[in-house]
Amino acid sequence: MLQVPGDVQIIKEDNVTHSFCGLACVGWMYQKIKDSFFLILGTHTCAHFLQNALGMMIFAKPRFGIALIEEGDLSKQEPTLEEIIAEIKADHNPSVIFLLSSCTPEVMKVDFKGLSHHLSTPSVPVLFVPASGLVFTFTQAEDSVLHALVPFCRVAPAGEKKVVFLGSVNDVTADDLRAEAEELGIPVGGFLPESRFDRMPAIGPDTVLAPIQPYLSRVAVKLERERGARVLHSLFPIGPDGTRAFWEDLAREFGITVDLRDREKAAWEKIRTQTDLLKGKKVFLTADTMMELPLARFLHNAGAEVVECSSTYINKKFHARELEALQGVRVVEQPNFHRQLEDVERIRPDLIVTSLMTANPFAGHGFVVKWSMEFMLMSIHSWSGVFTLANMFVSPLNRRSKLPEFDKEVWLEGVMPSAE
Amino acid sequence: MRLAFWLYEGTALHGISRVTNSMKGVHTVYHAPQGDDYITATYTMLERTPEFPGLSISVVRGRDLAQGVSRLPGTLQQVEHHYTPDLTVIAPSCSTALLQEDLHQLAASSGVPKEKLMVYALNPFRVSENEAADGLLTELVKRFAVAQEKTAVPSVNLIGFTSLGFHLRANLTSLRRLLQTLGIKVNVVAPWGAGIEDLKKLPAAWLNIAPYREIGRTAAEYLGATFAMPALYEAPIGVEPTLAWIRSLLDQLNAIGKERGAAAIAMPKLHAFSLDGLSAPSGVPWFARTADMESFSNKRAFVFGDATHTVGIVKFLTNELGMKVIGAGTYMEQHADWVRQQLEGYLPGELMVTDKFQEVSKFIDEEMPDLVCGTQMERHSCRKLDVPCMVICPPTHIENHLLGYYPFFGFDGADIIADRVYLSCKLGLEKHLIDFFGDAGLEYEEGASSESSPAEVPAGDTQPDAVQPASPSVPISEEGGMHWSDEAETMLKKVPFFVRKKVRKNTETFAEGIGAAEVTVEVFRKAKESLGG
Repeated sequence: MLQVPGDVQIIKEDNVTHSFCGLACVGWMYQKIKDSFFLILGTHTCAHFLQNALGMMIFAKPRFGIALIEEGDLSKQEPTLEEIIAEIKADHNPSVIFLLSSCTPEVMKVDFKGLSHHLSTPSVPVLFVPASGLVFTFTQAEDSVLHALVPFCRVAPAGEKKVVFLGSVNDVTADDLRAEAEELGIPVGGFLPESRFDRMPAIGPDTVLAPIQPYLSRVAVKLERERGARVLHSLFPIGPDGTRAFWEDLAREFGITVDLRDREKAAWEKIRTQTDLLKGKKVFLTADTMMELPLARFLHNAGAEVVECSSTYINKKFHARELEALQGVRVVEQPNFHRQLEDVERIRPDLIVTSLMTANPFAGHGFVVKWSMEFMLMSIHSWSGVFTLANMFVSPLNRRSKLPEFDKEVWLEGVMPSAE
Repeated sequence: MRLAFWLYEGTALHGISRVTNSMKGVHTVYHAPQGDDYITATYTMLERTPEFPGLSISVVRGRDLAQGVSRLPGTLQQVEHHYTPDLTVIAPSCSTALLQEDLHQLAASSGVPKEKLMVYALNPFRVSENEAADGLLTELVKRFAVAQEKTAVPSVNLIGFTSLGFHLRANLTSLRRLLQTLGIKVNVVAPWGAGIEDLKKLPAAWLNIAPYREIGRTAAEYLGATFAMPALYEAPIGVEPTLAWIRSLLDQLNAIGKERGAAAIAMPKLHAFSLDGLSAPSGVPWFARTADMESFSNKRAFVFGDATHTVGIVKFLTNELGMKVIGAGTYMEQHADWVRQQLEGYLPGELMVTDKFQEVSKFIDEEMPDLVCGTQMERHSCRKLDVPCMVICPPTHIENHLLGYYPFFGFDGADIIADRVYLSCKLGLEKHLIDFFGDAGLEYEEGASSESSPAEVPAGDTQPDAVQPASPSVPISEEGGMHWSDEAETMLKKVPFFVRKKVRKNTETFAEGIGAAEVTVEVFRKAKESLGG
């Protein structure tokens, strides 16, 4: 069944990129799982990252916090978190506490497994989530969170053939996916994760796992191995092409044959104005969120010229179908940003999909940019996401064409020392 | 160990990059794990830098540690090859500092000439943002400043102006205007906009101006001790402090000028400092004497911030606006003694010294001041409590990085601060009405005012599509004429409130178009698909 693409060349570089560490996942995961608390064992750096780069403001009762390692804690054998856990329980009454690792305690060789086990109680489990920047980038720690949730998914009995969607999306998108599946006659077992800890889906030997986000390969493998679940290997349900393949392939797992060609055609037709504009446009994706492969595949099929699709991590098996669909496109894993800068200046792409850290400087160099992180925060999945997805690429192009001519010599003068 | 949600000061790495990011031809290499260069986003998004900040990460992976591999020499070579900076500052992060590597040796093995590298390794568990920035600036000045002839005309250096500084560019403009009016030349501004060549010529100036207690003072003290340069350390916040600042500046420059046989600089007519050269340089003295400002003498203010601004604003509110300061505090523990000494006689109680925002918020909650001057965190706390708040210092929010000219320094700055106080506080007559009639008569106005919207837009600096918080008190029209099934209604509730009304209307229009009699879940879904989410 699995097709490992033979002739898709993945160029691998040295990972000198500008992207976030795994702790970034707290930004959406604490909002997704509503009775959770995310506790990071970390330093001032971790706290500063969350409050600045993610712009996460403290709401009335934030359900995430940092157990702050201070100088005096460095010499201690093991961190003592009992008081902090008690404080969290008193203030937030969570059903589950996720304990995230970060770089400093990893270097200190803190025994996180032992620590979380020690802090767990039957009523409030404390689950270890590896998330440090020494190993994980940006979206990858969601994989770790789901990994930690596996023991809390009941074992579905053999014969209970249902789909469980893998990946956190907002409730509206989840409802859409569920309804679409039911319409096709596919029984739905739920989502991993659901929005409450006590409602995680049952997963067993006849569960079909349908990954809807491209950064969850480890939990998929784990469930395949431990529960005997089948993992759907298809395109991700993003864009008309991906959505059609996803639903047709998923239906086939349930012995249902559907032909969604017309539906796909209609979906492309609906975004024809957008694809007309994208046709032949050179698009460069610099690597940030690991959404790059499906985004590039959509752009490629929409007629854009993807001049480089870079991603921080590519799993040849998990991403096989996307890679196959990207034949002929330059795909780079763990790119070198300095090299990308030079290539961008040479190729002069029409649109650059890039991180929060690099978007404005690219704009300063005269390019049209789109924040890669935005694709994480918008409903771009399945049929109902097609329009939003297409518009996200088109809107910066349209906007730029409406603005008057820009003379860098005049309008960047004195904006920053380096721009003078 | 403690549970922290939010911190006032940034890390040592942040302080280091604030200095290097201010400069030309200087690069920073973080010897750190993936993601520790998140700080780049604060420059490119808060300051909206049109150039790539000179900041690279030499990624440390878990695998590298296991194998004993360091990418630092390679990264330094790449930086040299791609950007050829005049200087590269190498800094470890909190986790790599624990590895106790010999960064000097690693750096040397890159083959990049030693004089183009500077290892700046601090203990990140002990040193924070401001101390690191002040320390690095001092190191740079020590390394590059050379003894030389003074400039022929009276000149000054402006030291401590740093990337992400509070209203930095406007403050610089305000001081430049003052100096221009006085005919004093600016020799070097550092670190903002300075290159290595500029650091070299720092000692050519007659005097250093280092108005920030947090950053720049140590470098000015070094220049004073080594090159016998006098310095002006006061921050010109408010009208009287600005006048005193100018007089002190002239006294010191004229003393040097006298030795050099130069003509004394005379204090010009104060009109010369105004924007049009014809008017009073500031409206504050008259404004404070008007009848409508009388109510301000009973207004209770609380000030919390860094050292420089806490001192400046407490004095301004007390001395120039005649307000009642009920308390003040700072998160800059290492400068707390200075703040106490500066504010002696100004505060009814002890100075609050804390880096825990919850303590500050609790004080505000208990005291319910009429005005809070604080950081973005106090602004946030105050919104929840419906207490007026203005931001007077870092840490800032994207809202504090505006395009217009809003200095806090000089005469222009006094006007800006007074305006903000005036706009933040509930006004005199309005307040009488509230006190007299309760809030009954004001409900309508409150609801209609965008100021009073309780919905805070989260993540203002990274939220891609600015969400307009509609007043939730506006009822969603139920009279579209079309019936919605309960399930569809439930589904609609999941749509964010600020677009719900629009979604309802569009869905009904769509339903009419396809001849549906009521909006069911299926119709709603079809509509979403057709109309795009």
